[in-house]
Amino acid sequence: MAASLALLRQADAALRVGSARPGGLGPPVELSLRSRLGLILIFGLFYGAVMGAYGARPLQMLYSGLKVPLLLAVASLLSLPTFFVLNTLFGLRKDFPRVVGALFSAQAGLTVILASLAPITAFVYVSGVSYQPAILFNALTFGAASVGAQAILRREYRDLIAGNPAHRLMLRAWLVTYVFVGIQMGWVLRPFIGDPIQPVQFFREDSWTNAYVAVAEIILGALSGAR
Amino acid sequence: MAIVESGAGGGRAGWVQGFRDLDQILRGDRTRTDSLRAGAVEIAPGRLSRVIIALCMIHGLCMGTFAMFSRNGPALGQVLATMVKVPLLFYLTLLVTLPSLYVLNAIVGSRLTLGSVVRLLVATLGVNVAVLCSMGPIVAFFSVSTTSYPFMVLLNVVVFATAGFLAQMFLLQTLQRLNIAQTLADALIPEPDPDAPSPLRPLSDEFLGRRVKTIFRVWLVVFGLVGAQMGWVLRPFIGNPNIPFTWFRGRQSNFFEAVLQTIGNLFS
Repeated sequence: MAASLALLRQADAALRVGSARPGGLGPPVELSLRSRLGLILIFGLFYGAVMGAYGARPLQMLYSGLKVPLLLAVASLLSLPTFFVLNTLFGLRKDFPRVVGALFSAQAGLTVILASLAPITAFVYVSGVSYQPAILFNALTFGAASVGAQAILRREYRDLIAGNPAHRLMLRAWLVTYVFVGIQMGWVLRPFIGDPIQPVQFFREDSWTNAYVAVAEIILGALSGAR
Repeated sequence: MAIVESGAGGGRAGWVQGFRDLDQILRGDRTRTDSLRAGAVEIAPGRLSRVIIALCMIHGLCMGTFAMFSRNGPALGQVLATMVKVPLLFYLTLLVTLPSLYVLNAIVGSRLTLGSVVRLLVATLGVNVAVLCSMGPIVAFFSVSTTSYPFMVLLNVVVFATAGFLAQMFLLQTLQRLNIAQTLADALIPEPDPDAPSPLRPLSDEFLGRRVKTIFRVWLVVFGLVGAQMGWVLRPFIGNPNIPFTWFRGRQSNFFEAVLQTIGNLFS
C-alpha cells in the first residue's frame, strides 16, 4: 500500500518535473534517474497490458505489456549515440547529463499519461468496438501522450535553451531521430493489440518489413486505386 | 612540419590517446583560436587515422548487417567487403583529392602548409566518421528489420550525407579560425563561450573571409564529387539480395544517376 502510494507520488512528480511545486512553495520538483526508469517500466507495462486486453487473452496482455517499455527503451538506445556526438559537436557536452535526464523525464511522463488514459481504453474495449477502431483509438492515446511528453520535454529544455540556443536545434534533431526510429520500432513490435481472430504471438511473421515502405505502398495503392 | 609523428605510440595507450584526440576535436578543444596559433590543428594524423579506420570498420559492420539478414541467406563476404570498403572510401578520396586541394590552397594564397592541410583534412574526416559511426546502431536496426533494398540504399545515402554535411561545417569553421588565428596572431579574439567551445560555432558574426570561402567552396565540390563517385566505384556496400555477392560491380553509370533511379525504384 505504502509502496503504491510512493509510486503514485513519483508519477505525480514526473508530470511536474521542472515546474514549481503546487501552491508555489518549495524548490522545483526533482526526480531521480532511477525512479524515472522505474516509472517507464511500471506504467509502460500497465498501459501495454490494458492495450493488449482487447481479446481478453492474458498472454497477449503480457506480450503487449512488455512491448511498451521495450519500444521506448530500444528506440532511445538506438538514437542516443547520434545525439551524443551531435551535442558534443555543438559544444553542449557538459549539459549532456541534464539532457539525458530531460529525455527520461519526457518518457516517464509519456507512460504516466498513457496509464491515465488506460481506463478510457478499457471502457472503449468493454463497450464492444471492433478491431480496426480499437487500433485507431490506441493511435489516438499514443498521440495524446506524445503531445503531453513534448510539453514536459520542452519545459525541461527551456533552461537549457536559455543557457545555449544550440539546444533548440538539438531538440529538433532528437525528435526527428527518435520518431524516425520509434515508428519503425513500433512497426517491428506489432501486434500491440492483437487481432482476436489470429493466435496470440509476440511477433508477426511479416513484422520484419519496413514501416515507411509499407505506408508508401498504401498511399500509392490508394492513389492508383482512385485513378 | 613532420606529417609522420615520431614514435607512433603503439599499443593500448596509442588507441586511448587516439580516441581522446577525436573527443577533443569533437568538443572543439583542438580548434580554439589559441591552440591554432601555430598554424595547424594539433593532432597526430597517424594516431587519429587508426581510430578513424576502426570506426569506419564498425560502421561497415552496421551497413553489412543487411547482407547478413538477407532472405537468400547470410552473405558473409559482403559484410567483410563493406568493412574493408568504408575506410578505403574515405582514404582513397583523401589521397586522390589531396594534391589538387593543396595546390588550390597555395594558389589562393593561404598560409597552410602541406602538413597543416593533411592535419585539417584528417580532423575533418574524424568528425565525419564519428557522426557516421554514431548513426551505425540506427542503420543496423533498419538493416535487420527491413527487406527493402532501395530503402536501405537511400537511408545510407542520407546517413552519409548528414555526416558529410557536419564535417563540412567543421572544415569551414576551422579554416576560418585558422585564417583568423594566423592573420591576427597578436590580437586576442576570445572564444564566445570559453566554458563550452563548439567547433561548429562561428567565432564572430562577421562574414567569412573571401579566401576562406573560395577555398572551402572548391574543396567542397572536389571532395564531394570525388567522394560520391568513389562510393559508386567501390559499390556494392549494402548488397542487393537479388544479385550474388561480388567484390565490385561493373563500372557503368555514376552516383547521381543511380540515386535518382533508386528513388524511383522505391515506389515500384
